[in-house]
Amino acid sequence: MNKLAIITGFLGSVKNRYMSYQEDRPLKEKFSIASQVKGIEGFELCYPADFENPSELKELLDRHHFGVAAINYRSRRTGRWLRGSFTSAQASERREVVDDLKRAMDFAVELGCNRITTCPLNDGSDYLFEMDYIQAYEGAAETFSAACAHNRQVRIGIEYKESDPRARCIFGTAGETASFCQLTGADNLGVTLDIGHALYAGERPAQVAVALFRAKRLFYVHLNDNDGRWDWDMLPGAYHLWDFVEFFYYLRRLGYDNDWYAFDVFAKEIDLKDNFDAAVTATRKMEQLTDRIDKNQMAKLLAERNPSKIVPYLYSLL
Amino acid sequence: MKTWKFAVNSAFLGRRRDRFTEYQPDRTLEEKFRMVGPIAGISGIELKYPFDLRDVPLAKRLLKESGLECPAVNVDIKDATYFRHGALSARTPEARRRAVSLLMEGMDIAAELGAGIVTTCPLADGYDYPFQLDYATAWGNFIESLRLAASHRPDIRIAVESQPHEPHAKILLANVGMVLYACAEAGMPNLGANLDIGHSFAAGESPAESASLLAAKNRLFYIHVNDNPGDGGDWDMISGSVHFWSWLELLYTLDRIGYDGWLGGEVAPKHIGPDAAYAINTRMVQRMRLLVERMGTEKIAALVGREGIIDQTFEYLSRCLMQDPVEPLPRQETETITPGKKS
Repeated sequence: MNKLAIITGFLGSVKNRYMSYQEDRPLKEKFSIASQVKGIEGFELCYPADFENPSELKELLDRHHFGVAAINYRSRRTGRWLRGSFTSAQASERREVVDDLKRAMDFAVELGCNRITTCPLNDGSDYLFEMDYIQAYEGAAETFSAACAHNRQVRIGIEYKESDPRARCIFGTAGETASFCQLTGADNLGVTLDIGHALYAGERPAQVAVALFRAKRLFYVHLNDNDGRWDWDMLPGAYHLWDFVEFFYYLRRLGYDNDWYAFDVFAKEIDLKDNFDAAVTATRKMEQLTDRIDKNQMAKLLAERNPSKIVPYLYSLL
Repeated sequence: MKTWKFAVNSAFLGRRRDRFTEYQPDRTLEEKFRMVGPIAGISGIELKYPFDLRDVPLAKRLLKESGLECPAVNVDIKDATYFRHGALSARTPEARRRAVSLLMEGMDIAAELGAGIVTTCPLADGYDYPFQLDYATAWGNFIESLRLAASHRPDIRIAVESQPHEPHAKILLANVGMVLYACAEAGMPNLGANLDIGHSFAAGESPAESASLLAAKNRLFYIHVNDNPGDGGDWDMISGSVHFWSWLELLYTLDRIGYDGWLGGEVAPKHIGPDAAYAINTRMVQRMRLLVERMGTEKIAALVGREGIIDQTFEYLSRCLMQDPVEPLPRQETETITPGKKS
């Protein structure tokens, strides 16, 4: 069974274009909130925010018996790298990003998680003819190759997303990201599959999980949900119950079942503990539902491909 | 063909942000006015209440000194301190009263500034999850609040702005149909629409159709001009940069329906700055208007009025815009990409 983690950023202040929700709070308080959520066993830590005092961080992890699912390398920084970080047209900016990413990788080794996840959000464009895609992909290949060469034991997962804050990010879909990883050629470069981003991009989460796994690029999984129109970071299963069940079913078949799931779920005005309690409960319930699928029965149904049998079978599991 | 006056929205002249990034510094009202003055084609400023209208005499003086008009007061009713769970539609009467009072205050200020219109985008009135909201009650409250506000004074018109989502996954006033429904239910002649063209695209509408429907019911009071790729994101991009043909159709339609209002703008300044963003946004709309004028609105009307000739319509429209390549154009040397090789 996969362990459950919260991304620390979601326990502080989060905002959108119009609203700010929750307060910023020190890491210590984030630990105390998360440790009250039954079923949470670790954090996905945000770099650089959570690494101001690494010894305090380690002490907090020990005290709360918390594991580290991954380090989330934030590629957007206030006032810097605004026109892309990995893809920046300026070599000096790309070098800064690589050097900084290497430091985050070293922390990943120190904390024993050996995994970086990063969402290249500013690496994209709003307008047609705004960005030189050829240069951008070359820049990205150069930065990610350099980082991957720094330590082959640390896996870097690119978390793709179609848009926001750019009308189009350069890593928008599973396919775009997987092909980039394959062409770049580093075995330790892969994909963080955020199920919400997949739904928002119009993908079938289970299908892209298989496609990424076959390409040896399924490195890590984020859980949340939305209505397919925007990345609302909602409670898992609020909209896409059966997508989740199918997703979990395939993750087990692929052997992604002794790893981590990290939640990026917006609490908005809801109490944080209540919000993540609900996320844990909903996730475990959907896993239980997945467990009720009889392997042989499903194999037969998949062979037969008859929806008039498949849909009633699924509802018989409830 | 009709001409229209252009206005900026004061909220877009200061600090902007999205979920991940902040753009542009905060600016005082004086700085905002100084910035708008030199923008070619702009003759008005839609002022945000309460943020830019805390000092009404100052706003009045700045309007006078700058020679700018204030076509509309934009009332903000999404302040999270009071409206976490809705404003006009809120379950609690206190929140509803507060939202209605804000609109009424805005109407009084509008009258003082010579603006005939209050615009408002009711973004606090929405929901995220299934089973989160009692829709019938919420809509009942929403319409009653609008009716109350509109009855405050008949000389000021309220223009409500629809948007499909954000910050909630679903906004009650999601599209032009919902606006028309709310107006019909409230039954107030001074309640109508602020048609934001970007929101219309985000809601999957054809803005020209939306404008026609609103005009048919005398509900088209104000317009915000911008664009986006229609992926649902309200990117506040330069008008015509994406939906070029739809934009021509909209301007043609605004002329046909005799729209007499303003073209306000909401354009994301991001890296270029609000003055540059508004300058090019205005210029784009002006040029597209000139293009439609050159195409001839009567000529277009004759084509649109006949069924089954879409080929002829685009034959005509494209001929006005592009030359026929008589001979193949000389091919320019372009760079060839070799995979894996640096160019």
